Amino acid sequence: MSQHDDSHHGAPARQFSRSDRSDEHNRDLAERVAKIESLLIAKGLVDKQALDRLVELYEHDLGPMNGARVVAHAWVDAAFKRRLLENATAAIAELGFGGLQGEHMVVVENTPQVHNVVVCTLCSCYPWPVLGLPPTWYKDAAYRSRVVTDPRSILAEFGTALADAVEVRVWDSSAEIRYLVLPERPAGTEHLSEDQLAQLVDRDCMIGLKKVRRS
Amino acid sequence: MSEQRLASPAIAEMSGPCALPRQSGELVFNDDWERRAFAIAVSLADQGHFAWREFQQQLIESIAQAERRDPQNPSRDYYESWLVSLEALLRRKRLAED
Repeated sequence: MSQHDDSHHGAPARQFSRSDRSDEHNRDLAERVAKIESLLIAKGLVDKQALDRLVELYEHDLGPMNGARVVAHAWVDAAFKRRLLENATAAIAELGFGGLQGEHMVVVENTPQVHNVVVCTLCSCYPWPVLGLPPTWYKDAAYRSRVVTDPRSILAEFGTALADAVEVRVWDSSAEIRYLVLPERPAGTEHLSEDQLAQLVDRDCMIGLKKVRRS
Repeated sequence: MSEQRLASPAIAEMSGPCALPRQSGELVFNDDWERRAFAIAVSLADQGHFAWREFQQQLIESIAQAERRDPQNPSRDYYESWLVSLEALLRRKRLAED
């Protein structure tokens, strides 16, 4: 299982994203699952609500939305932002997120002068309770080494052009410390609510590959 | 035990051919039955009816089997292999007998 593809844009080659199944075949598969599900429910081995909660959990609750809410809250609440930059683990826990790999967090702030990028050169550590599941390319060895040697070229691939005067800082996550980038709040978003702001923030922004754009 | 607050790294971070299909880090399901099949396997493992690595091993085998003739063009897609694995494991553990 050492195989990695070279895709850097979240579309790994070997994983399908669109189903080519015929309707008939798809119905047959759906029936097989329904049969298993009702049998297991009848035997009391699973229950419908627990299954729904699990899907929720893996699909949304751990998604980038948690991190996005942290970022949006920091944008609207200066005192929270200060606490976040001082002790991210505690500040993030205030919002009810944390646990597992998200435990020891450090938040680094992007400014007009400094752009931060996060990588893990050793073991692809990743604060996934806050950021959701890591993208496949994050674990790619070539990506990891290039972020360190030539971060601007990686940023350019993600459409992030930085002026030469901007300092790029690369943060190497480890088992002890996980970094999260606090992106700059885009101009012209003063009228947006915290929830609306959170929707502008995606995972790539919180690794520092992209800037947040006003949608 | 089924009341779980955080996703399990053993599941979320599977790598290689059995890595969960994702887009921008988030899981991709094409149909609702794929979600159901995903959740059933995770729930049974959470409750200790089998170890996650048993399911993972079965999944690796099912995917390899689907790719045997033409790796570029597998005879089953990811979640169909997932379902085949789930059915096989349920049979082996005698969990789904009428």
